[in-house]
Amino acid sequence: MKPKNRVVLFVILALMTAVPAFAHKVILFAWVEDGMIYTESSFASKRKAKNCPIIVKDDTGRIVHEGKTDEQGNYSFKIPDPIETGLVLTLKAGIGHQAEWKISKDELVLVPSKNNIHNAMQEKEKLEAGPSPLKIISGIAIIFLAALMGKFLFQSKKGLK
Amino acid sequence: MHISEGILSGPVLAAGAVIAIAGTGIGLKKIDYDRIVHVAILSSAFFVASLIHVNIGPSSAHLILNGIVGLLLGFAAVPAILTALLLQSIFFQYGGLTALGVNTVVMAAPAVAVHYLFLPFVGKSPRLSFIMGFLSGMTAILFSAVLLGAALWFTDKNFWETSLIIIMANIPIMVIEGIVTGFCVLFLLKVYPEIIQVKKT
Repeated sequence: MKPKNRVVLFVILALMTAVPAFAHKVILFAWVEDGMIYTESSFASKRKAKNCPIIVKDDTGRIVHEGKTDEQGNYSFKIPDPIETGLVLTLKAGIGHQAEWKISKDELVLVPSKNNIHNAMQEKEKLEAGPSPLKIISGIAIIFLAALMGKFLFQSKKGLK
Repeated sequence: MHISEGILSGPVLAAGAVIAIAGTGIGLKKIDYDRIVHVAILSSAFFVASLIHVNIGPSSAHLILNGIVGLLLGFAAVPAILTALLLQSIFFQYGGLTALGVNTVVMAAPAVAVHYLFLPFVGKSPRLSFIMGFLSGMTAILFSAVLLGAALWFTDKNFWETSLIIIMANIPIMVIEGIVTGFCVLFLLKVYPEIIQVKKT
């Protein structure tokens, strides 16, 4: 095998090992049920964000509630009363990691519609989905396209000179 | 190592962006026509490296590979890392888009540093090359951890403690990246020495 081919093979093998793993995407997910706000915090579903502060603000930026996730990355609290606006929940997951979740005023009802919960679950699944092979391949393709464009620009610049 | 959206203040984000743009400019000027493909290969490797997760004990981190990218590319590592980080942010939601400049500085500045610190010694003997590769992989992460601590200092006001936590969390990664980079250097010297710009003495 030619040395260059061996490098290509090496790179392909290295890329293949990467597919099933996850990395530092911080996720905060919250939903409203029976007067309570439930939250789940994780680093892309595999690892729970344990003992991390959760700060709840209203739309004006006023802190209305503060808490901490448990060992499972969960935290729940009563809907603050009285509340006039929607809520913004922020998860502080340490060293530069943070995630947000917004709850609109309409969702802050005592009995949520099934539709609301269904939408929230769908959103959660979308958030927790790992990087698909398609995204990985598209990323690499974009890098090589940029390189090709660079080569082309370089050539045309040389041609002008 | 990826700083999320909404953590850093405006001036820190702006400073990061300015330094990243300047570094990218220098990097783009320094890329030879023949080495554009090398830059793309290493940018891709950096792009996927963060998907390789390492769990050792309580700490959990992912590969970064800024050591090998910097060692081989020098200043050209800045545009390579910027591109990869931009795509990681868009496709995988790692790190905030507004923090792209700061994230680039945190990972690319150490990459450039190891190029000038360790590349002159690569290629002299296999053992020395491995050690230099190991040191590149390790110190790149160490420098990144300190820079990350510095970036967060403006919000945390606790530079040493934050940096120490980041360094401790990344010790397994430092060792693993050191070994990976060491073997990469040996492997490349054997099969594809053109990719390593060893100065002939």
